[in-house]
Order: sequence, then C-alpha cells, then structure tokens
Amino acid sequence: MSNTSKPILEIKNLSKIYDDGRQALNDVSFSVNKGDFFGVIGLSGSGKSTLLRCINRLIDPTSGQILFNGVDLASLPKNQLSEQRQKIGMIFQHFNLISRKSVLTNVLLGKLGQASLLQGLFVKFPQEDIDRAMYLLSIVGLKDKWKYRAGELSGGQQQRVAIARCLMQKPEILLADEPVASLDPATSHGVMDHFEQINKEMGITILCNLHFLSLVRRYTPQVVALKGGQKVFSGSSSGIDEEWFKRIYGEGAKEVQIR
Amino acid sequence: MIDVFQKRFEAEKRKAFVATLFVDTFLIFYSFFLVYFLSLSFSHEVSYASQNLSGSFLGMMLPVSALIAFVWGRWGRSPGVSLVYRTNRYLKSVVRDEEKRQWWKKPYGVFSFVILIGTFVLGFQITDVSFRSLLSEEGMEGAKRIFTALITPNWSIIGLVLTAMLETIFIALIATTLALPGAFVASFFCARNLVRNSRSASFLSVILRTLFNFSRSVEPVIWAIIFSVWVGIGPFAGMLALMLHSVASLAKQYAEEIENCESGPIEAMEATGARNIHVIWHAVVPQVLMPFLSFTIFRWDINIRMATIIGLVGGGGVGTLLMQYQGLAQWNEVGTIVIVIAIVVWMMDFLSGKVREALL
Repeated sequence: MSNTSKPILEIKNLSKIYDDGRQALNDVSFSVNKGDFFGVIGLSGSGKSTLLRCINRLIDPTSGQILFNGVDLASLPKNQLSEQRQKIGMIFQHFNLISRKSVLTNVLLGKLGQASLLQGLFVKFPQEDIDRAMYLLSIVGLKDKWKYRAGELSGGQQQRVAIARCLMQKPEILLADEPVASLDPATSHGVMDHFEQINKEMGITILCNLHFLSLVRRYTPQVVALKGGQKVFSGSSSGIDEEWFKRIYGEGAKEVQIR
Repeated sequence: MIDVFQKRFEAEKRKAFVATLFVDTFLIFYSFFLVYFLSLSFSHEVSYASQNLSGSFLGMMLPVSALIAFVWGRWGRSPGVSLVYRTNRYLKSVVRDEEKRQWWKKPYGVFSFVILIGTFVLGFQITDVSFRSLLSEEGMEGAKRIFTALITPNWSIIGLVLTAMLETIFIALIATTLALPGAFVASFFCARNLVRNSRSASFLSVILRTLFNFSRSVEPVIWAIIFSVWVGIGPFAGMLALMLHSVASLAKQYAEEIENCESGPIEAMEATGARNIHVIWHAVVPQVLMPFLSFTIFRWDINIRMATIIGLVGGGGVGTLLMQYQGLAQWNEVGTIVIVIAIVVWMMDFLSGKVREALL
C-alpha cells in the first residue's frame, strides 16, 4: 500500500440492520486510497453487496460513516445525493442495462445525473457527449455494436457496455458488485482486464466485490474480507494464505482456480 | 444501534396491535354471529331472511368481542396477530420462527379453520340451495318456454340491435381511452417500490389507493345509476361509470406491473445520480409499456361486456334495448339481442387476445 496517496474513501464503523432484523454489516472499517484497485471478498450473504450499496446509498446504512473525499455520504441529505453519486460509478452482477434501448443510448444514460430535465427525458445530448460515448465503446471493443439493442448482446458484451456507461459519468471511484459472477471464466478475464486498464490508465479507483480468490490474487493488490457482516481480514491480497482462506470461507471450503 | 432497532421494533409492535385488535374483534364478533345463525337455521325451520338482528344483540356482542380480542391479542397469538405480523416487514421475523410449528396445532389456526367451515355451511343455508325447485315440473315448463323463444330469434330487429351494439362498443372504447392517462400517471404513485423512499409520495400513494379501492369496490352498475340521475339516462352516463371503474382497475393493474418490474435497471439509473423522473422514465417505463398496452386492450374487452350490463340500468347501448324487450316479455327479440351480444363479445375477445399475444 502506498502511504503517499491519501484515502479517497474511508469507511468507519459501518453497520446495516435490515428492516426484518437481519444484520448485514457489523462495525466495518477500512479505507481505500486514491488509485487503488481494491477487492472485497467473502461468501454470499457476507455483506459485500450491502457494503457497496451503502456507499452510493442505494441502501441507507444504519450507523457509521462513509467519508468520500471527506464528505460523509452516510448522513448526506437526499437532495445532495445526486451530486456525489455522479462521481461514483457502479457496475452490477446482472449488468442492469435498459435492454430495449440501443447500446449507444445505454452508454449515454450514464450522463443522466448531469442532464437537464428535458435533455434526460429525450436523451438529447450534445455531439461531444455522443463522440465520447462512441470513444468509450471503442475502448471496450464494441464500437461496431452501437446500434444494437442492449438485450441482444452476450453477457460479457453487456457488462462491457455497462463499463462504458459507468465511464460516461467520469467517475472518481468505481464500485463493481460481482462484475464477473454471471460470466464464464474466459469472458471474466476479458472484463477484469478492462477494469485493470481503467484503473491503470485513467487512474480511477476501483472497489470490487469478488467471489474467487484467484481473481483477487491476480487483479486486486489490496483486499478486505467480510464474514457474517464483519471484517475478518484487510491488507495485501498476497497475504491471504491457506489458513486465512479457511478462516474467511469456512473449514470445508476448497479453493477453485479461474484460468 | 441495536437499541435504535429495538425501539423501532417496539413502536411497530404497538402500531400493529391496533390493526390486530380490529381484525380479532371482527373475527370473534363474526364467530358469535355464525354460531347464532347456525343454531337458528338448524334448530327450527326458520329462514335466514325472516331474521332481524336486534340492536341490543349487536350492542352486547361487540364489546364482549373486543374484550376477548384484546386479551387474546395481548397475551397470546390470535388470528389477527398472525395475520398482521406476517404482512409487516419489521415483524415478519417474529412469526417466521414460530411457523416451524404447524398451524393446526395452534388455537388461532383451529379457530380460523372452524370459522371458515362454518361460513361455508351457513352459506349453503342462506343461499337456499335446493335441487327440488331447480328440477320441478313447473320450473321446467318455464325454462322450456323461454329457451324456445330464445332460439327462435326475431331477425327483423337486427338493424336496431347492431346500432345499439355499436353504441355499447364505443361506450367501452371511450371509457377506456379517457381512463388511460389518469391511470398511467396515478399508477406510478401507487407502486410501492417507487414511493417507498419518499414520505410525501407514500402519503399521496395511500390516498390514491384508498380512493381507487373505494371506486372499484362500488360496482359500475351502481355508478351508472348515480350518473344516470346526474347526466340523464343514456350512453354518457354509462361511459362515465365505466371510466371511473376503469381508472381504478387499470391503475391497480399498472401498479402491480411496476412493482414486478426488474429493480436492476432502476438501481443502475439511481446510481448515476439521475433524478427520480429520469429513473422512472428510462428504467421503469420501457419495461412496463407493452404490458400496459396489453392490459388496456383487455380492459376495453372487459368494458364491452360491462357496458352491456350497465345498459340494463340506463347506461345506454344494447343493454338498454335488452331491458326494454325483457320488460315487455318479448323473448324472441331478447333472443336476438343475446345472440348478437354473444357473437360480438366472442369476436372482441378473440381479437384482443390475438393483439395482446402479438404485443408481448
């Protein structure tokens, strides 16, 4: 971890109890530095998704602080949320594109936060935005697909459109919630490589939920591990040995490689 | 922090108790009513209709029921507690644990089951189900007379009937068309998944849903009677009645479709920082547009059927014509109308079915 850069995101004592009494996060604290490619691992139901959704307030946390560039997102009033959300991109497991709309429109919708009322309703964006959308599509290798309906693309292609949509926001940080969990192994690496490229070349901080330890070892230098809503490990991903693995995933777990 | 949750839990429990009390009082009061009438109908040969509930009986039983409901709900698991808790997202977990034990071993389960059975038994008594009058010689004679007339229709009035039928179809069309915009806008406020995060929208949602439930629970026939006094007997009254009913029904169906739509795209649009109207416009509307259209066409279909009934009470169209001939006991003419209605309804049903199939 480079100590020279300052944290872009600080999570302090974050807890979330759902309405039915289920505790998804229990006193989680860690910080992400600017430019990090940061992994979050743990079993299903360990609170990874809840954690990411608390950061951009798709879910309201029960207590604790989320300092993003020093602004506490956890206590931010609803009317100031939009401004912060525009700086935080999000990638989902199931891509969440508007499947009936074209690929280009989907990418442009990343700008929806900045759009005026009428601009947003009719998706009338200036030419420079359209040019940028096309440029981003060329980065993820889908320039020739811009006319297609998003629902017609394969899973891996849809996730790449989602990445382009995210970049359209010009985010400072990117939250990726199990971005490759519904993709096959070969496609997974293609998508993860895009994340790596974005992180290295554009300097965008990435916080990424992952199932597979092999992906974490390969891509994310820093990692935090959750178990039952609590932080059980944080530090360099190379520090997760056999013993730690068992502690995070349970005694009976076996490590699976993704190649 | 656990305390915060505990406090909210307790507050929610207190709120739920009021609803519980209401449900239980009704159920217990109803069980008294059930026992009273069942014992009456089986002990002597008195019909239900000749009975008249005395005010003092009601006045006595209500506080007694309320007291029992209070005691049961406060210190035990009453049917009301079980019902209200299961539908409250904060209290669900309380019942979930107890669900592991079977309901028929519990007082509330047995009580509810006995009431249900009793209701059916009393139901048969009240509706006076009797095969004897269905198959009596005199009855069969009447049936023969009317069926013979119905299958020998008087085709000379066909022009009149078709004109009236056309009126009915247009009543239904305009009622559906005028109901559409209102229902469309209102449905977004009625959908629980969209209003959950805003207090003012939730409030508006409750008001709208109450209003719609009310206008839906009053049958269009009743509305037609009201409007026929208001704007006079004729197609306009029928159209207004149908429209009122359609707005409420469509809004409910639309809202259910919105509630069932995928939340993923909504989350994705929210995450960009988009304002609510943009989120709904891009993430919800494309998902629900085709189902909405399908519901609307189906509603027109239903409205054609309803419009014939509404005509019977003065809502215009073919129903009004039917009522006139029926009043004069001209069964051959009635037969003509019934056949035309059947054919047109079947045709519209087939057509709208095909169109809806093509849309989805």
